[in-house]
Amino acid sequence: MLNELKKRLTGKTDSSGDAFVDALREAISPERVKFDGAHRALHGHDASVFDGGNSGPVVYPETTAEVQAVVRLANDHGRNVVPRGAGTGLAGGAIPLGAPVVVAVTRMNKILEVDVDNMIAWVEPGVVNLDLSNTLRPHGFHFAPDPSSQQACTIGGNVANNSGGPHCLAYGVTNAHVVALEVVLPSGEVAMLGGLDAEPQGLDLRGVFVGSEGTLGITTRIAVRLTKNRPEVRTLLLSFDSVTDAANTVSGVIAGGIVPAAMEVMDQRITEAVENYVGAGYPLDAAAVLLAEVDGLDAGVDIDADRIAQIGRDNNATAVRLAETDHERALLWKGRKTAFGAIAQIAPDYYLHDTVVPRSALAGVLEEVYAIAKRHDVLVMNVFHAGDGNLHPLLIFDAREEGVLDRVHAAGGEIITASLDAGGVLSGEHGIGVEKQKYMDRMFSGDDLDHQNRLRQGFDPFCRTNPGKVIPSGHSCADIQSLRNVPDKVWG
Amino acid sequence: MDLKLDDDMLNQCVQCGLCLPHCPTFRVTGDETMSPRGRIKLMREVQLADAPVTDEVLDAFSSCVQCRGCEPACPSGVEYGHLMERTRETLADEGMMTPAWQRLALKPLANPTLLHAGSKVLAVAQRLKLVPGRLGISEQLPMRQAPLETSGDDVFLFTGCVMDAWQRDVHAAGQRVLEAAGFGVTPTNELAPCCGALQAHAGLTGETRSLAETMMANLDAGSGAEPRPIIVDSAGCGAAMKDYGHLLDTPEAVAFSARVFDIQEFLALHLNRLPTAAPIDLRVAVQDPCHLRHVQRVHDATRTVLRPYVRELVELDDEGLCCGAGGAYSVLEPELAGQIRERKLGSIERAAPDVVASANPGCSMHLGSAGANTRHPMQLIDDALNQ
Repeated sequence: MLNELKKRLTGKTDSSGDAFVDALREAISPERVKFDGAHRALHGHDASVFDGGNSGPVVYPETTAEVQAVVRLANDHGRNVVPRGAGTGLAGGAIPLGAPVVVAVTRMNKILEVDVDNMIAWVEPGVVNLDLSNTLRPHGFHFAPDPSSQQACTIGGNVANNSGGPHCLAYGVTNAHVVALEVVLPSGEVAMLGGLDAEPQGLDLRGVFVGSEGTLGITTRIAVRLTKNRPEVRTLLLSFDSVTDAANTVSGVIAGGIVPAAMEVMDQRITEAVENYVGAGYPLDAAAVLLAEVDGLDAGVDIDADRIAQIGRDNNATAVRLAETDHERALLWKGRKTAFGAIAQIAPDYYLHDTVVPRSALAGVLEEVYAIAKRHDVLVMNVFHAGDGNLHPLLIFDAREEGVLDRVHAAGGEIITASLDAGGVLSGEHGIGVEKQKYMDRMFSGDDLDHQNRLRQGFDPFCRTNPGKVIPSGHSCADIQSLRNVPDKVWG
Repeated sequence: MDLKLDDDMLNQCVQCGLCLPHCPTFRVTGDETMSPRGRIKLMREVQLADAPVTDEVLDAFSSCVQCRGCEPACPSGVEYGHLMERTRETLADEGMMTPAWQRLALKPLANPTLLHAGSKVLAVAQRLKLVPGRLGISEQLPMRQAPLETSGDDVFLFTGCVMDAWQRDVHAAGQRVLEAAGFGVTPTNELAPCCGALQAHAGLTGETRSLAETMMANLDAGSGAEPRPIIVDSAGCGAAMKDYGHLLDTPEAVAFSARVFDIQEFLALHLNRLPTAAPIDLRVAVQDPCHLRHVQRVHDATRTVLRPYVRELVELDDEGLCCGAGGAYSVLEPELAGQIRERKLGSIERAAPDVVASANPGCSMHLGSAGANTRHPMQLIDDALNQ
């Protein structure tokens, strides 16, 4: 309050000493362009362990026109741009490299239109994923992608990462739920990609944009598809004496022709940590638990639930529990969805991988993951979207311990190699960002990467939008140039 | 500088960001410096990396409502409230926060004579229309109030400072409901002038400690007697008194805190003693005060005790997001408090109740001054019992 008073009495506002910042303040509003140490320090990070981001000014636009103004000014001043949602990304996609202007879309958080007849909603990119579903639920709908961070992450971030979530097993990931995007291109032009028509004409640029991790432009409005709430849901919790039994059950369920809404596995250590937080009644003595959910019509869900229970028992399930109430179900899911945060009870740092392997290879790769961690003397926990083979091995450590980071990185590299060797891919849903970049050449050939970079340059010839991400440096020379262009002594 | 925070507690935060939507200031600003994750990061920068305590850093800390809505949302169990209280204490000790005028303004809380005299002046000023609206005093302050009389020695009813001066009718209703359940009530009056919550929020923890010690000495059960429960009808005070064990870190303080009950919590434990009555003909929305829901975590009790006495009980759809009152926060940060309140009012409007039940005097005044029709749950039950 005193600051406020002082400002009012003296008429003094912060002078940035930088022409770009001053231009931003004039174009947007002085209050929504921050250039102080506190804002820059906080926007140098997201939820990943990557340390080394360096933010320039931070702007909070409220309209498409304001985003456009920021991008144009950045072009005029030769500065880079990094879009940011809630900063819950786990691969460092929102980490600013080379002191760019960070465009935080958190204030663009309006649900603009809900069109139940056409099953479409128009939203701004800063709308929180769970807020959207909570708003839609009374209308009988929800937004299907439900990343574990859904209570905090934004739809704009979901678009950038093509986010998945437990329930994407049956309903598909974000790409299947976004029909149109209004974007500000790196040139500063506003474009509409995709459309509400069933078959929009031309190349599917919407599909190119979804999952591009902010390297092709900034989303300013999103038309999402609404998913009808299912009348009946059954949630099963199966306990096993080994992770392999749980993995085999998952394969068995899919092979049996059942498509559950979700199938999630947690091993003993992570189950202990989440149970300690939620108290949902997760068994502490099971080597692994499988959370399986089926939804649909009354008669169908009971049959599917029974069959899943039977397949579990055939694979040595030691207990099968059916959630009796909505409250019980909600608690079980809360446990699963807060798993990453809950590990801090065990150690303060984690490095999370996100590989996807063929379901048939699940059990083998998991065994290998445990062996790799043991070899490198690193604590590992496994929690994963079992239904689609998306592994999330969490390497747990205390960064203050000498030499531990080297072991963590070595183990991580081997886990990735093991996954790729089994026919898997690098990232299921968290994206490549800066964290998985160095592994890209294990999955793609030089030609692959060059072509990806060419596509990117079609949108962003000067590589000014989220530079230094996704495509490794050898294949994106413009990035390097652009990152070197950080003006000395101005910031950085 | 050393904020005197425990390094391990500070490192407990993994920066996952799940707290963000549960933080009222982040909700209305979208600004990371106004989020729990951001504030913890700034504490780290200051304490571990010796970053300077700039105006922006101070703003980040002083803009926190201390609602602690982030704590139940945190899967890592970060004790954010304690981190923020300690940070403020250190900065206040260094003279960087809580300026002299604020310290002075908090003084009368611990002094009933001064407080009631001041309150009377305010009541007169209010009638002369001299009190600015931004102070958020929604109701007509009482000129004269009947004293609360002791009716027995089963329980203490904590009366406190501002609430006793401005809302003694709530205490009276609470006392009547306790008596209807067959409890003899001793109002604490001058035995316990103030719980020290507002002082702790402002970083003046030393004052809180001395108030806690006074109260513990005065409300001691005496030799041999069964220690009496201490019933509190203000969520903020109850939360502060339940924290004495942590604050003083003595076995006596821990034992004292264990005797403290929120009035709804206490009645829910003795539901069978409450007389039945025809429900009053109102649609009531429950507004959970943060320190009842996020700190004491006994907000379900409000529903348990209230439900039989009202026609209809409805929930707000904002998952217990703060209303922006925050003790003295609405006076110190009126702009943010107002924006936060707008969200709450929107939620109330969607629930379309006749009346909003709020178990905290700060919330009810803050919401009331924006036109919401608020009553304490005890007043509603008292009405039902006496209709």
